[in-house]
Amino acid sequence: MLETRSLCKRFGETLALDRVSLSVKPGEIYCLLGANGDGKTTLINVFLGFLTSDGGEALVDGLDVARNSLATKARLAYIPEQVMLYGALTGIENLRYFAALATGTEPSATDAERLLTAAGLDAAATRRRVATYSKGMRQKVGIAVAMAKGARALLLDEPTSGLDPKAAAEFSQLLRRSRDEGVAILATTHDLFHAKQTGSRIGIMRQGSLVEEVSAADLSHADLEALYLEHMR
Amino acid sequence: MSPVVRIARREALEMWRDGRLVAAALIALALLATAFAIDWQRQQTYEIERRAAQALDYDTWLKQSDRHPHDAAHQGMHVFKPLPALASIDPGITPYAGSTIWLQAHRQSEMRFRAVQDATGLQRFGNLSVAWVLQVLAPLIVIVLGFNMLSGEREQGTLKQTLSLGVRLRDIVFGKALALVSAITLLLSPALIALIVAVATSERASDDGLRAVALAASYAAYFAIAVAVVLAISALARSSRASIAWLLALWIVGVTLLPRAAADLARELYRSPSRAEFSKALDGELSAAHEAAWKREFSTTKRWGTELPLARWGEALRLDDRVGYEVMDKHFAALWQSFADQQHAQALAGTATPILALRKASMSLAGTDFASHRHFAQAAERHRRTMQDIISEDLVHHADPRGAGHFDYQANHDLWEKIPPFNYAPPNMATAIKEAGISLSALALNLAFAFCFLAFALRYRARRLL
Ligand SMILES: Nc1ncnc2c1ncn2[C@@H]1O[C@H](COP(=O)(O)OP(=O)(O)OP(=O)(O)O)[C@@H](O)[C@H]1O
Ligand SMILES: [Mg+2]
Repeated sequence: MLETRSLCKRFGETLALDRVSLSVKPGEIYCLLGANGDGKTTLINVFLGFLTSDGGEALVDGLDVARNSLATKARLAYIPEQVMLYGALTGIENLRYFAALATGTEPSATDAERLLTAAGLDAAATRRRVATYSKGMRQKVGIAVAMAKGARALLLDEPTSGLDPKAAAEFSQLLRRSRDEGVAILATTHDLFHAKQTGSRIGIMRQGSLVEEVSAADLSHADLEALYLEHMR
Repeated sequence: MSPVVRIARREALEMWRDGRLVAAALIALALLATAFAIDWQRQQTYEIERRAAQALDYDTWLKQSDRHPHDAAHQGMHVFKPLPALASIDPGITPYAGSTIWLQAHRQSEMRFRAVQDATGLQRFGNLSVAWVLQVLAPLIVIVLGFNMLSGEREQGTLKQTLSLGVRLRDIVFGKALALVSAITLLLSPALIALIVAVATSERASDDGLRAVALAASYAAYFAIAVAVVLAISALARSSRASIAWLLALWIVGVTLLPRAAADLARELYRSPSRAEFSKALDGELSAAHEAAWKREFSTTKRWGTELPLARWGEALRLDDRVGYEVMDKHFAALWQSFADQQHAQALAGTATPILALRKASMSLAGTDFASHRHFAQAAERHRRTMQDIISEDLVHHADPRGAGHFDYQANHDLWEKIPPFNYAPPNMATAIKEAGISLSALALNLAFAFCFLAFALRYRARRLL
């Protein structure tokens, strides 16, 4: 569903992506680990068509992102590290707006509230202006938008950063449910525990290259930590 | 509902909630209502007074007692320039030009005309008018409402989020354009109401309705230019701060500095004589022409002296006038041409800054431009000559045959009646459109430029989203 073939991206002197080849199948959660600046966000931006690659290709559902940027975006949902919303609008209004743009039909206010509470937002908060939300609350609206879109692939850039442990656990639950419905999920994270808990496969990036790919079931949390630190040396 | 409409709706809701729309609407309403109330009141009162004065003046002429016709000609008549209904929207050069002309013997009245180009944007603040608010302040409102429409979303990250949903950048920009256009339509609707009131209360049967439509269309084009430029800069700018800085700089240059420079340049290129220079040149050539004519016909260079037999006094008056007509035509034509050339140069400069194009087009369509003023002055002068010619003819036929008793002749009501009342028809819509031709083309050109600029900005931004 999500695939890269020898993907390269260069910013001046820095090689942000160096011949990255990976593949995420439907029903799979792929967790991407790596130190700050190792190219994880860059990879996601290429998938979204915000950056054009300098070699290789990125495919969504077999479609080349560079040439089908609208068609590929239609199959994706994206949750960034910091979900940005319109502060003057309430949570429900934001959700209805983004969902309408994503799907072409606007969910009713009750559906919107249901989606938001399903994403873990307090029912009372859904009617407040988003300007008053904490970072985690915004994140939950972003999750609800992604769920409302019903996309076949999810791109998550450190989605749980800022979520409290309970919300993070609920989010992992949501991800697993999506996975079971056949959604392909690519998530970057710094949270080894989270990666081990939710991931089906785990990739480690180092200075733009994908240096390791393991199956989450194959190793313990301690093994993963040792492996990670090994690569980061 | 298309994404464009959804985006526009959200944008409008935000503008409404954060109070920008209300604040801008109140300011616009206050300025437009004040400007229109004053100018409309002025126009209505002026027209009532003018009609009364014009009728009274002719009545006085008809009722004057029996006397020598030349005495009557010296006292003369007055003509009053009508103020078109749309002057309450755009007074144009009205505050700078005279409105009354005294038609009297011998000499064409100098047309008072302080060039309007002396007064640029802010200086015209003294003459608050609907047109001024729309030309100078409305672009500022567009800037305030739109400077961060794209730069702000890029900074916040909402742009990236919206695009990730599969929305086209073009649709986002069109949505914002739609929101901006709706907002300013709402904000400036008092001006539209003013326009309708001005036409509805127009007393003259004229093409004011058509003029109003053309006027509204010109202003719409101007605002479309402002919207396109504001969105283009907001798309290109690195940040909202950069965007507002660029836009304010553009406003200062385009709305205040360039018009000023264009006016100065136009005056340099097509210099018009000062009042003193003009009078001196005219007087010089007039007396030369008169001397030559008198020498030829009456063998003397001294006009109206004892050498002139009284039996030829009326004939002399007729000759004196006719010689004068040609010289005055030449000098006034040159003077007017210099003003007209200045106006056209400024209209051409309208290709560089749309406010110049709009200002000229607006005045022409409102019937308050220089060409309308000149049309009136020329009609007044034709009327003066009709009066002079009828009087000279009368003297030749009735006073000159009396020989030495020339000045015993007294004309009566029968002669006064031969001079028609001054019935003036201002230039029609077709003339106004023709006069506004260059400026309307310049405006259209600016509109095309602005759209190309926006298209370019979009293509640039689409490739550099991060
Ligand atoms: N727009 C850009 N212009 C120039 N260099 C960039 C740009 N975006 C990223 N980079 C560089 O590319 C490299 C990879 O950055 P990237 O944001 O992908 O890292 P990351 O793995 O997401 O890091 P983090 O864990 O901190 O989020 C870094 O060296 C960064 O400085
Ligand atoms: Mg990152």
